[in-house]
Amino acid sequence: MSALKRPANVVGAVLILLLFLYPLVGSDTRYFESVLIVCMLYAIMASGWNIISGLAGYVSLGHSVYLYIGMYTGAILGKMWGVPPMYLMVLGGVVAAAIAVVVGFITLRTRSHSFVIITIAVLLLFMTVAQNWKSLTGGTDGFIVKQPEWNKDNPTTPYYYTFLGLMVLTVALVAFIMRSRLGAGLVAIRNDEGKAASIGVNTTLYKVTAYALSAVPFGFAGAVYAQYLGFVTPTTALAILMSVFLVLAALVGGRGTLWGPVIGGFLVWGANEASTVLAGEFSARLLIMGVILILTVMFMPAGLLPTISRFVHRRKSQGSAVAFIDQASIAQTSDVAIDSIVARTGQSTDPAVPELEVKGIVKRFGGVTAVDGVSMTVERGSITGLIGPNGSGKTTLFNCMTGTFQPDEGAVILNGEDITRQKVWTRAHEGLGRTFQITRLFKSMTVLDNLVAPLEKTSVRELVAGRYSGEEVDRAREVLDFMGLAQFEGQEAAALSFGQQKLVELAQVLMLRPSIILLDEPASGINPTLIEKLASVIRRLNDAGTTVLIVEHNIPLVLSLCDRVHVLAEGQVLISGTPDEIRNDPQVIEAYLGPDHMLEVNDV
Amino acid sequence: MEIVQILAFGILMGGVYALLSSGVTLIFGVLDVVNVAQGSFLVFSALLTWQIWDLTGIEPLLLIPVMGALMAFFGWIIYRGLVKRVVPQGPGMTVLLMFGVAIAMEGILNIAFGNKFKSVTPPYFTQSLQIGELVLPYPQLISGVMAAIVLVGLFFYLKLSWAGRALRASAQNKDGAALVGISSIKASSLAFAIGAMTAGVGGVLLIIMYPIYPATQYDWIAKLLGIIVLGGMGSIPGAVIASMILGISEAFAQAYIPQWSAAIFFGVILVVLLFRPEGLLGEKTREDVTT
Repeated sequence: MSALKRPANVVGAVLILLLFLYPLVGSDTRYFESVLIVCMLYAIMASGWNIISGLAGYVSLGHSVYLYIGMYTGAILGKMWGVPPMYLMVLGGVVAAAIAVVVGFITLRTRSHSFVIITIAVLLLFMTVAQNWKSLTGGTDGFIVKQPEWNKDNPTTPYYYTFLGLMVLTVALVAFIMRSRLGAGLVAIRNDEGKAASIGVNTTLYKVTAYALSAVPFGFAGAVYAQYLGFVTPTTALAILMSVFLVLAALVGGRGTLWGPVIGGFLVWGANEASTVLAGEFSARLLIMGVILILTVMFMPAGLLPTISRFVHRRKSQGSAVAFIDQASIAQTSDVAIDSIVARTGQSTDPAVPELEVKGIVKRFGGVTAVDGVSMTVERGSITGLIGPNGSGKTTLFNCMTGTFQPDEGAVILNGEDITRQKVWTRAHEGLGRTFQITRLFKSMTVLDNLVAPLEKTSVRELVAGRYSGEEVDRAREVLDFMGLAQFEGQEAAALSFGQQKLVELAQVLMLRPSIILLDEPASGINPTLIEKLASVIRRLNDAGTTVLIVEHNIPLVLSLCDRVHVLAEGQVLISGTPDEIRNDPQVIEAYLGPDHMLEVNDV
Repeated sequence: MEIVQILAFGILMGGVYALLSSGVTLIFGVLDVVNVAQGSFLVFSALLTWQIWDLTGIEPLLLIPVMGALMAFFGWIIYRGLVKRVVPQGPGMTVLLMFGVAIAMEGILNIAFGNKFKSVTPPYFTQSLQIGELVLPYPQLISGVMAAIVLVGLFFYLKLSWAGRALRASAQNKDGAALVGISSIKASSLAFAIGAMTAGVGGVLLIIMYPIYPATQYDWIAKLLGIIVLGGMGSIPGAVIASMILGISEAFAQAYIPQWSAAIFFGVILVVLLFRPEGLLGEKTREDVTT
């Protein structure tokens, strides 16, 4: 798709062109240049913020700290080396990114709420340091920064073009991230972090990377801004206000979009400038900005650009209803070569080593021991069933296998290797795939995007690769074809029925070429036709060598599919055996129905 | 002796923090909303107390129930009018909403009271209670004790009353609570009102100890947020423990390295989070059943 086909890109390009021309053709431009410089500063900051808070969904309220870090880096090093801070903008970016990595590593492991709070704390902590480390920062008075020769008449134009350049670079950075697999992963994290981890996304790495990248434009801009202002002072209230403005800018424009934060920067600072002219006083401006923030959150939460584009789309798509495909048509499996779907290289296939083994797993929640010393194996190439009454510990055991929980005792062994302490995404890379009882697709993404989101491995090359780099898309189409889902490729996942979503989730797992697939109640909540379809897919995958472990309440399905079945009751393995053995075992009936029912069953 | 003196100071201040932060953590527990406007609620109550005291010369402690009730009502309005509508959009948006509320309130307070320090100075303002060598200034002593009383009352209310049980049920499982007849809207309104009430009481206690002006909301909200992260989001006992840690570490820092007291507290938080991302008493929830 050509970049200029999207209207927002045209608007953005025109904006940049106009900004470029303005000082050249305008007369008496000094005042407006100075206003536009701050607009561009906010556009830069809002775009940077967009990387962590728009794409990944982790809202930061203290991001202006990275501008101050850039300002102090430029000003302090500039003073030490006798260089104007502006020339040190790269260092500003580097220092901001380095501090962001440290902060990100500490804070991004907390869940989203704590993260928001910590970002404020980091801002205040930095300001406290800046106010008190007098020998370095000049304390609350701050200090005057070194100026170059050409700065004698306080020109605005050089700063104007520098900020314009930085703004273009920031937009380019964001555009690059959005098109990369890193960007796809970040959106996946915003949609469902736990799920993202289960398909191999190293969520910690992704978040820290995004956080650090989001600080870079701030650091660059900070060094330039310090010189433009001519001094640096640590004024906490201003720093917080700046955070409000930049968040507001991204929000008004449309967070998660490329141009929204840029447009927002101009709108918000423009409005602020206008209210300074109209309302004048600082307090009135605070009030106005606060009210705009409240109104935006309440009435236009998606932001200006998405709201406009939705409006345009609605008008366009009137009359062309989305075609719904009947269930029967997906029930046919196409005859794509199964081997290319499941082929996994570089793994031992020694049949003597079980595919998956758990030894003495114990997991307690408070006083409840959900899993109480379970040992079992899943033989290579088998379809193994795990059944048991509600509350018998199936799902907990499952979660210990996939790494969602750490067992309190015991070991999980995948293909002869102890993976008990490994992260969820590492297990995914090692060949352990899972689906969820209640599907957890990335609802706002298309089916195809859902399939290309998984990562086979984590490396820099992989992260910067294009989201739709040829190989992945080919493979995704192949898998969709195999599942008979090809016609849904461009649909949003949320538009599919629950049963269809289950098939897409299985397709998503196949993208990682798992050697074993763990299916959590695949048949619950879907219609008999799809259950048939699912059973045939499972059999075909298994014929091609994939091991399958199924947790399921649909006993007939389990008994017809599985080679071997383990029955759990009250957190322990009650019995293991072939389907026939299980069917006729009185203990199993007792476990399911309780001892009172035994007589009735025997009577029959 | 000096140590005992500092400890006593720290514990009294910790009590005030505990009252204020339990309001924030309660709101979070029930609604999943981080009320970053708690600082401005606090300052609002403090400045209103100052205004009434300035006009009438009334004993400020008598205003505790009045301000508590007033702010509870105010919180209820904010919840019904604004928060309720934004909650479905998720915690990120409610934070931004409350941020907007905080900023707008600061603007209004600036316009109404001016951007100047205000303090309430009742007759006991400069007096102290002397127990042996221990010197406890009355403002600190009274504030700490009043905060403890309100906090204990709140604790028993949550533990023993039907409404308290309903709140805790709703905090643990909204849908489940709804099934047994607890309206999540009512529970949320109540939580928000109680949270704002703690700010109402706290505002009175603060202004007899410290001079306050609108922008001091940032200092307070930063501390309160730090406390609830350190204690574990949503855990009231956690908030109390973290408040004591803050109060005591601040008191020591104040005595020996005054300018670094804020930095030390935030430093402690970052170190704790490195080892326990969920906070001191925070819980890791069973994701699989809650989604």
